[in-house]
Amino acid sequence: MYYYPTRRRFLIGCGAAAAGAALPVTRLLAGTDPPAKARVVIARDDALQRGEPSEHGQLLAKLLDAAVQKLTDTPDPVAAWRRLFSPRQRVGIKVNALGRATQPVVVDAIVAGLRQAGVPAEHIIIWDRFDTELVRAGFKLNKTGDGVRCRGTDADKIGSGYQSEVEKSGEVGTCFSRILTDEVDTLISVPVLKDHNLAGVSLGMKNFYGAIHNPNKYHGNNCDPYIADVVAHRYIGPRWRLTVVDGTRAQYHGGPGLRPAHTWLFGGLIVGTDFVAVDAVGAHLLDEQRRSEGMKPVAEDGRPARHIATAGTRGLGVAELDRIERIEV
Amino acid sequence: MQRPADVRAEPSRRQVLGWGLACAATSLLKGTWRAGAQQDVAGQIELAGPRLPGVNRHPAMFWEPRPEQRVRCTLCPRECEVADVERGYCGVRENQGGRYQTLVYGTLCSANVDPIEKKPLFHYLPGTNAFSIATAGCNIECKFCQNWQISQFRPEQVESTLVTPERLVAICQSRSAPTIAYTYSEPVVFYEYMHDVAALARQRGIGSVMISNGYIQSAPLRQLCRHLTAVKIDFKAFTEKFYREMCAAELKPVLATLEILKEIGIWFELVILIVPTLNDSPQEVQDMSRWVVAHLGPDVPMHFTRFHPTYRVTNLPPTPVQTLERCRQIALDAGVHYVYAGNVTMHPGENTYCHSCRTELIRRVGFQVRNNRLREGRCPQCGTLIPGVWSQEQALAFKPRDAATDAQK
Repeated sequence: MYYYPTRRRFLIGCGAAAAGAALPVTRLLAGTDPPAKARVVIARDDALQRGEPSEHGQLLAKLLDAAVQKLTDTPDPVAAWRRLFSPRQRVGIKVNALGRATQPVVVDAIVAGLRQAGVPAEHIIIWDRFDTELVRAGFKLNKTGDGVRCRGTDADKIGSGYQSEVEKSGEVGTCFSRILTDEVDTLISVPVLKDHNLAGVSLGMKNFYGAIHNPNKYHGNNCDPYIADVVAHRYIGPRWRLTVVDGTRAQYHGGPGLRPAHTWLFGGLIVGTDFVAVDAVGAHLLDEQRRSEGMKPVAEDGRPARHIATAGTRGLGVAELDRIERIEV
Repeated sequence: MQRPADVRAEPSRRQVLGWGLACAATSLLKGTWRAGAQQDVAGQIELAGPRLPGVNRHPAMFWEPRPEQRVRCTLCPRECEVADVERGYCGVRENQGGRYQTLVYGTLCSANVDPIEKKPLFHYLPGTNAFSIATAGCNIECKFCQNWQISQFRPEQVESTLVTPERLVAICQSRSAPTIAYTYSEPVVFYEYMHDVAALARQRGIGSVMISNGYIQSAPLRQLCRHLTAVKIDFKAFTEKFYREMCAAELKPVLATLEILKEIGIWFELVILIVPTLNDSPQEVQDMSRWVVAHLGPDVPMHFTRFHPTYRVTNLPPTPVQTLERCRQIALDAGVHYVYAGNVTMHPGENTYCHSCRTELIRRVGFQVRNNRLREGRCPQCGTLIPGVWSQEQALAFKPRDAATDAQK
């Protein structure tokens, strides 16, 4: 992650700095447009609150298509998916199989969208930390067969699933999953809309703690700034194309473990390309739900989701709600 | 099974050549050099059994239930509050439905027969071997960790073999190893296994030494010391800043551990890895040495060892030998009786000298004891009793002072 300057880079940088210094500040500001609002789509349907999520595959695919169309301002779903993905990409779908887990039917809807964009099935891999957790969450493993693959980082030879050398990113030093480093060039994060006992919320960004070998080392200070450090790394941030928060069965308290008493039938998905904005909206909705249940927001419960603001400050996305356009479909 | 670095890094080519030439010359000139018994049997142990991801669940000791199925771990000063399905900072203790479990009970990722000098323990049965074991995990994160491939990984990521306490002790007996060393990663995080093995080993006439960072709470430490025979503490530095920034830990709990070890009377030695520019200032070394003399007494050996770039600290050079010599002199001047320079083969600072008459008592070359002139723990020249544990009988006779007091009551 650290970028050591060569002599040429250094000279170019000096030149650019000198040129910048020569320009009046007013001139620099004059041509600057106000930053565009980030867009986050909330796609809900009351029908999702009934029965099991697995019974609503078609509805979820329809909702997701509609969300992607809104995100891209594209009337046709195929064209919309093609705005985001191309057939040459190798797409890693990072699910959250720990505790309250991502529903496989939501991932099926994402895979259908990618296929519409022309991404070959063999270019798609659904993954998390462990095979065992994926199976427990209802995913069917496919390590070497045709079609979409599905496996955990720790699936093969013991210890070979992570890089052998440590990478630095801000305050984090870690070995990334080889799925991330060797097998994919594009990422989709599919977390669950859920509470987290330390980070406040466990959404799209926190989901990538499942891509590093030592997440246990980075839960101090409400996981801040470590979550932002992890997602800022070149293996994640620049490759992250879409977040789909699974809210078919959300959880407003007691996460990340499964707490049926705190299940929240949100009945929908939160979708966006700005991963910070998606998390900001998700955290806001979760706090609203907690209030409606007579509970304090997570920040007042001693676990502020400050990693979202940190990611915003780092320029990874938009964290301020008033700079986020929320669209409901 | 992995061959960890212990506290000593690989020597440079120059050091190896120098060592080899010196050994050859010594044997040719004097005809006395031969590899000791420890070298004949020392090495990596291949334990029978399938190689597995290192998870074996076992009820954890030292934790408290908290509301909503959370638990608070009271094993180490970190006191992690852990939600259901989550793990503590160490990565090897997990909350399952409100019950805390260790995941590494008997899952050995390293097993070697090492000279006790490799730990390093220089005043504990010199010239003997220690059956040395580790599991994955650590409760701190030193950015210069030499065994990070096991200490900083979770058990699923490390190849291990399941070995029950009974089997481990039997293997030790079959190899006539007088000591089991819990080492390489951080034994505090495999506390339950270490506790059970040490208790059983003691019954069978085998001692146990813990090679630790000292990041442990008082109650578990006191309970464990009833079964241990010696301890080595990695004393990382003498500033909170270093502990916080380089180890994600705190200094104060380590000082408390050292004072408890002193109080209960177990034999222990200190190792200080000197990292250039970070903990090598003369003032810090002097402050540390004076604290040792004032709080632990002058007889606790201090080993100043050489850093080699690794893990997350790759931008600093190896510690200059002169720096180690300076640290050693500062500690001696502060009144510490036994101060060593480590990771510098054939340096006179590896030898033991009588603190009273300065006679050379034990000569070492690397991990090998070249000559041991101690007579029943005394200097042959002036008769001074040299602090340490010099026989297995003495090792096994140890009882913590508080336990002895309890027994008298």
